[in-house]
Amino acid sequence: MTNHFIDYKNSDVILVIGANPAENHPMAMRWIVRGKTEKGTKLIVADPRFTKTAALADIYAPHRPGTDIPFLLGIMNYAIQNKLYHHEYVVNYTNASYLVNPGFKFEDGLFSGFTLKDDKPSYNTETWQYQKEGDSVKKDPTLQHPNCVFQILKRHLARYDIQTVSKITGTPEDVYRKICETYCSTGQPGKAGNIVYAMGITQHTYGAQNVRAIAMLQLLLGNIGIAGGGVNAQRGESNVQGSTDLAMLYHLLPGYLGMPQAGSHPKLQDYLDKETPKSGYWSNKPKFFVSMLKAWYGDKATAENDFCYDWLPKLDGKDHSHMAIFEAMAEGKVKGFFAWGQNPLVGGPSAAAEARAMESLDWLVVIDLFETETAAFWKRPGADPKQIKTEVFFLPAAFSYEKEGTVTNSGRWIQYRWKAVDPPGNARTDLWIADRLFKAIRAEYQRGGVFPDPILNMVWNYDQPGEEEPDIAKVALEINGFSVADGKPLSSFAKLTADGSTACGMWIYTGYWADLDPAKAACKRRKRETTGIGTNLEWSFAWPLNRRIIYNRCSADLKGNPWNPNVPVAAWDGSKWVMNDVPDFNATLPPEKSGAAPFIMLPEGVGRLFAAGLKDGPIPEHYEPMESPVKNIMSSQQNNPLVRPRKPAFGRLSAAVNPAFPYVLTTHRLIEHYQSGAVTRNCPWLVELMPEAFVTISPKLASKLGINPGDKVVVSTERGEITCKANVMAIVKPLKINGKEVEIVAMPWHWGYQGLGSGMSANDITPYVGDPNTQIPEYKAFTCNIRKA
Amino acid sequence: MPKAVLVDLLKCIGCRSCQVACKQWNNLPATATTFTNTRDNPPALGRTTWTRVEHKFIEYGSAVAYRFVKRQCMHCLDPACVEACFMKVLKKTPEGPVIVASDKCIGCYYCQVACPFEIPQYEWTSGVPRVQKCRFCYEPGGEYDRLGQGLKPACVQACTTGALKFGERAELLAEAQRRISTDPRYVQHIYGEKDQGGTSWLYISDVPFAELGFAGRSGISSFWKRLHGLKTG
Repeated sequence: MTNHFIDYKNSDVILVIGANPAENHPMAMRWIVRGKTEKGTKLIVADPRFTKTAALADIYAPHRPGTDIPFLLGIMNYAIQNKLYHHEYVVNYTNASYLVNPGFKFEDGLFSGFTLKDDKPSYNTETWQYQKEGDSVKKDPTLQHPNCVFQILKRHLARYDIQTVSKITGTPEDVYRKICETYCSTGQPGKAGNIVYAMGITQHTYGAQNVRAIAMLQLLLGNIGIAGGGVNAQRGESNVQGSTDLAMLYHLLPGYLGMPQAGSHPKLQDYLDKETPKSGYWSNKPKFFVSMLKAWYGDKATAENDFCYDWLPKLDGKDHSHMAIFEAMAEGKVKGFFAWGQNPLVGGPSAAAEARAMESLDWLVVIDLFETETAAFWKRPGADPKQIKTEVFFLPAAFSYEKEGTVTNSGRWIQYRWKAVDPPGNARTDLWIADRLFKAIRAEYQRGGVFPDPILNMVWNYDQPGEEEPDIAKVALEINGFSVADGKPLSSFAKLTADGSTACGMWIYTGYWADLDPAKAACKRRKRETTGIGTNLEWSFAWPLNRRIIYNRCSADLKGNPWNPNVPVAAWDGSKWVMNDVPDFNATLPPEKSGAAPFIMLPEGVGRLFAAGLKDGPIPEHYEPMESPVKNIMSSQQNNPLVRPRKPAFGRLSAAVNPAFPYVLTTHRLIEHYQSGAVTRNCPWLVELMPEAFVTISPKLASKLGINPGDKVVVSTERGEITCKANVMAIVKPLKINGKEVEIVAMPWHWGYQGLGSGMSANDITPYVGDPNTQIPEYKAFTCNIRKA
Repeated sequence: MPKAVLVDLLKCIGCRSCQVACKQWNNLPATATTFTNTRDNPPALGRTTWTRVEHKFIEYGSAVAYRFVKRQCMHCLDPACVEACFMKVLKKTPEGPVIVASDKCIGCYYCQVACPFEIPQYEWTSGVPRVQKCRFCYEPGGEYDRLGQGLKPACVQACTTGALKFGERAELLAEAQRRISTDPRYVQHIYGEKDQGGTSWLYISDVPFAELGFAGRSGISSFWKRLHGLKTG
């Protein structure tokens, strides 16, 4: 999130798209409801289902799964055609005026630079770059030059008129027009529009472009950096933000430092030279990177030995994301697997195929609260335990209330939580398990092994005398960073150096534990604000540097006057900044100077309405989901041209417009269960509320198929079929797509064969194909058929 | 001053935290349930389910509404169940809650027939009848008491959005009046202000109360319906 949950109360209009906070982020609804009650916030909900969030909406738009890009681009087009965008913001704070290479083209669904080599599609992005004059970019502040970003965007968007958007999405034209009018009202200076999204936006073969579309709409309307605005991704778990920060993803090191590549970064200098931009705050990357190596390898890391850079694992240039791991497992290339707080056999795509892949494992370690489906894969329905040779270990883990530590929420607030009760039996904290595991592995390497140095020399000094548990304060101090000379914590990442005099496990958290007395750690603060705009600067600590609203220089005009003086984030009083937040800019500079580059993390210093960074295009374009009941009416490119089906063992996809699978299926969650249900399906009170798996179909489809509420039905896709109960409810309705009536079907995916409340997981039949940038699977839009069981 | 709860249906998101919090605080067991099309579960209020949220997906006129209505004992100002209870087991307290005040229940079902909201249910598991229902978290001297300890009822404490507000009845009535007169979405009625002689649980809504199942629960026909529908232990 650029903003935070409490800030929702400052929004004039909230557009919820691809999210259902009433069920999945209920505490977010506290602030949405407060805004509606106290400020008259207008709530727009776009969702294939009339959700519990839609229940409180001022305007509800049904739209077909997988059509968020036309939905969002159409609003942008409406803003430009009707001159409702925030002109001053767009001219000064975005790259709208930048001139792009005259060779840039967009024709029939393809951007210039498309190449196909050995059936591997890619883009050469040369024509997507800015025109330069020496080191500086050519600009046209009048926004009239045909090659300027604004004009390119305007031409691209003009194709997304209301009628066209309605044909693709199925949203009735009058409803869509009302949404365009209402949301574009926030383009007026001083008004705040907030876009709230979640997995409904990201889980598509163009999920990254969906997010781009949201960011661009917000830039056009001047909604980034202001109170009540922002691009607000609601993360799927309470600490998924924290785990992403700490580099759970294979291509990252902590703090969003890219993982080194063996091919292009053989030496530290190669990595630093190639990965450090010349301008913007990321130009400090060497300080963050070297300080991380110092934290990991301590005294062993010196300038002479490249701070032990050689000890870091390097990537081989191949895909090692979730789906690729299971493909490799199926091929016998992965021998062992730790499933630590993750239950892929309910949560993973084509989960039934992933279960088969696991049969090739030599060993499996599951660390969880209950015996999950993943832990029990060898005795799942239909499997023959005698044929499965995998050795399975189960380590019982402590629940979140049975241990202490920080949890980082979607708004980047790092909040310390204390233990409420002891864990039962032999259940242990994750920290205890990680600590013992590392020490056991190190003991093995002490007896010998290949390349033992990184293990034997890793700094691992978290013991506390006389205690079973490692000292969490020591771990936290290492993450926060300290001065190597005296061990004193650092208060800001601005103090990090690239010469080895500072050590810091993750630069973005610096300041959250900036006191040697653990009781004074900033993440433990709990002071509510009594006046102000809701930033609550003395409640916990938000990364980076306790900033609550990212890019907050944009909340004021070039001269430093807040666009909205009633809810000012930053205001220049003629001699200094008066702040309701921590400045996300250099506050020692005069406002015109900081206003020239308010997006401090970007080399351009301004927001990007056109960006060469994604693999599949500098501007979002509509493509159909890999499985779709209709043809793409925007171009002859049916699907994202950069997506190719994966290996056949997993990747079976239905052809477009396949009469065997006529309905659009989308998956979702329910408030009564959490993720794969590993915990909630073992809680009797929650199972009582929501006992069984089901599929929701419209009354019209039910009557066509002769299905009554509660009947057992079979839902089938190209990948298999599952049986569950039928939920017949007008919260889904057929949509008119380019003249054709298309039924929408929805399934929660929480169930599996373990636990008190069991059923089949919808993910047994979800597609195994992902976004070319992120490889997130396309869980949210595919096709199915339904029959009575 | 009697206590009350104001339920604002325009703030309820149907999260059912109240329903779980009630079971958790009062140590009530979960029952085995199966799929229901409305998503309401357990299917009815009962001996081990003292509060329950009903999902109301309603199409009325040209409007569609999806509302979530929490049900529990309404804690009437002049409760019919207390009038009907000749053993004086049920008692209206000055603080507002209607509670089970003794163990002298003989299982006569009079309270069950008398209650216009069909709330009291019997527990026979111990061989001795016992009336079971929401006690507004008031159990003077008991282990489940909250009100007497200066705490809000468990359901109100758990409410995520402020749809439930606990306070003095007179103040909540004024608050409800303020909300319905300043926001044109609401219907001009505070359910429970006068209905059934007035109740401690008050509701405001944008959907007419008749659409939400609030009407038709009084009068002689309703009485006969309850009498015929009586489920005995």
